[in-house]
Amino acid sequence: MQALWNWKKMTVLGGLIIIALMPVFTRSPYIRHLFSVFFIWAIVVSNWNLIMGYAGIWSMANVAFLVIGCYSSALLSMHSGLPPAICILLSGLITMLIATLFIGLPSLRLRGIYIALLSMIFANMLPDILKIFRYSTGGSMGLPEVPPLYEGITTLQSYYINFAAFIVLLLLVYAIIHSRSGLAFMALRDAHEMATALGISEYREKLKVFALSSFSTGIAGGLYVHYTGIASPDLLYISTFLMAIAMMVVGGMGRFPGGVLGAALFVFGGEWLRMFGLVRLTIMGGLICIFILFFPGGIMELVERLDTRIIQWRSKGLAPPVVE
Amino acid sequence: MSSYFVIDLVNTLLSGLLIGSLYAIMALGLTIIQGVVRIFNFAHGGMSILGGYLTFMFLSGAGFNLIVSMILSCLLMFVFGLILYRGAIVFLVKKPNWEIASVIFLLGLGILMENLILQVFGARVKEIPVFFEDAFEFGFVRINHHDVVLIVFVMVFVLGLNLFFSRTWLGRSIRAVAQDIQGARVVGVNANRTLGFAFGLASAVTGLAGILLASKYYLTPQVGWEWMFKGFIIVVFGGLGTITGAIFAGLVMGLVEALITFYGSQSWVWPAWFVIFLVILLVKPEGLFGRKSASY
Repeated sequence: MQALWNWKKMTVLGGLIIIALMPVFTRSPYIRHLFSVFFIWAIVVSNWNLIMGYAGIWSMANVAFLVIGCYSSALLSMHSGLPPAICILLSGLITMLIATLFIGLPSLRLRGIYIALLSMIFANMLPDILKIFRYSTGGSMGLPEVPPLYEGITTLQSYYINFAAFIVLLLLVYAIIHSRSGLAFMALRDAHEMATALGISEYREKLKVFALSSFSTGIAGGLYVHYTGIASPDLLYISTFLMAIAMMVVGGMGRFPGGVLGAALFVFGGEWLRMFGLVRLTIMGGLICIFILFFPGGIMELVERLDTRIIQWRSKGLAPPVVE
Repeated sequence: MSSYFVIDLVNTLLSGLLIGSLYAIMALGLTIIQGVVRIFNFAHGGMSILGGYLTFMFLSGAGFNLIVSMILSCLLMFVFGLILYRGAIVFLVKKPNWEIASVIFLLGLGILMENLILQVFGARVKEIPVFFEDAFEFGFVRINHHDVVLIVFVMVFVLGLNLFFSRTWLGRSIRAVAQDIQGARVVGVNANRTLGFAFGLASAVTGLAGILLASKYYLTPQVGWEWMFKGFIIVVFGGLGTITGAIFAGLVMGLVEALITFYGSQSWVWPAWFVIFLVILLVKPEGLFGRKSASY
């Protein structure tokens, strides 16, 4: 039974307050941009965590969902007269449809690793599909003039809008995890036969998790594309995909803050590491290997162990026993 | 039918045969690893380009000739596979979530390798020279000497590998371990050593495939991933754990790709691979020649 206030919740609250007040302390558009990128990736990785960590489905296509969201929102806003905000919502729906159709439905019949392969190849195929329809999608050059959310938007306003989306969508993920569906996902992941014997419909839950996470990811994509004003297939490069996986693994698969933590680490840390040039990708690869070998639960696992020790220390008033 | 159509068709089919045999040998390394430890080697891309880059290094850096460089690279790749097995795979397969853990580990290793290679060799395209210049001409059909040599080499190699697996003690023990590891131990096979050897073998074959592909096309740090994904599809298409299946599937996919590239456009290649993959998974997931018992 966790106390109402514990150090983890205080950290989260403190972090949120700092983020909210951050623009007061610095007017640098670079830092605001960095935070916005962090918000978007936190959303994407947290939703990916939902599919991979909580539901145990090894879909590798979430970055592809992000890009589908980007392009659908961009194309919608450029060719129909709809305001970008509506386009973002619609792009979430479109992404949900495509994801469920191409990955979700086949995954009903496939075992873990095959879903991974299928989704990877789906993600690999996407740039070529964009090239085929290059007349509308701009092929490898992308679409350079995506309208912003509304005319005259400033970096300050974008910052808060992205922050708001970050909070709303993460709350959504949190709600899903703690709902009956969340329990169903985890049950299917951990004890498959038992869960289905208890009446949990694997088909429904799998489709549900794909639909929900791809919807959120698509919205993140729409937000991103209207924020940056460019839709480009660069996001589909293997390096972005690997960075997203690294975010999830290092942050902590199957633990809610893992996605946010991983995103923070790699967005901000990545910027810091940029001064080392190409070495940062090498470091990322190395981190993935080390973490999966020794800390499969990511940093969150370390946090949890630390938390356990603190609780033991407090309740006994003695030095914590060596637990193993 | 106009003669141009026939000429083009024949040329395309020959191209397809060539690409197909290269894909086939690319898939061999994957098949071996999949067969013995049931893991899809996500570091395959990195390993194949490593083979290519090592050869390049020996060729241009040390000035050895082509054959020596290839042999040296394969030996080094063999050692690499051994070390990979002993150093990491042994630990990974003992974990409860070994499937996804090994996938992610190998993926990370793949990035690591790609970027280390990028650091060491730079991003510019490297070339491994063709084995032979010039081409045969049979009437209207033109085949490069190099292509013929490649096809023949692959066929001979595959035959040799088949003989290895069916006639030699080591080959048979690898198959035994792939079928039933405890049973293999009972009949006296040292499973760990055999697995290590199998890994080394797969790694060497992969490196070799990388060299061949690099000599036909080109070599950059990124190109390994494409080869790897296609390799996965071929392995599943052909049937898990069967070498014949991988060869056959590789040839088929090569032909398909050549036809699509010629009569369609380059961009339709990946969507076609995806669709074929999807269809195979849904219709016959154990692959063309796969064991029905393989759980999918």
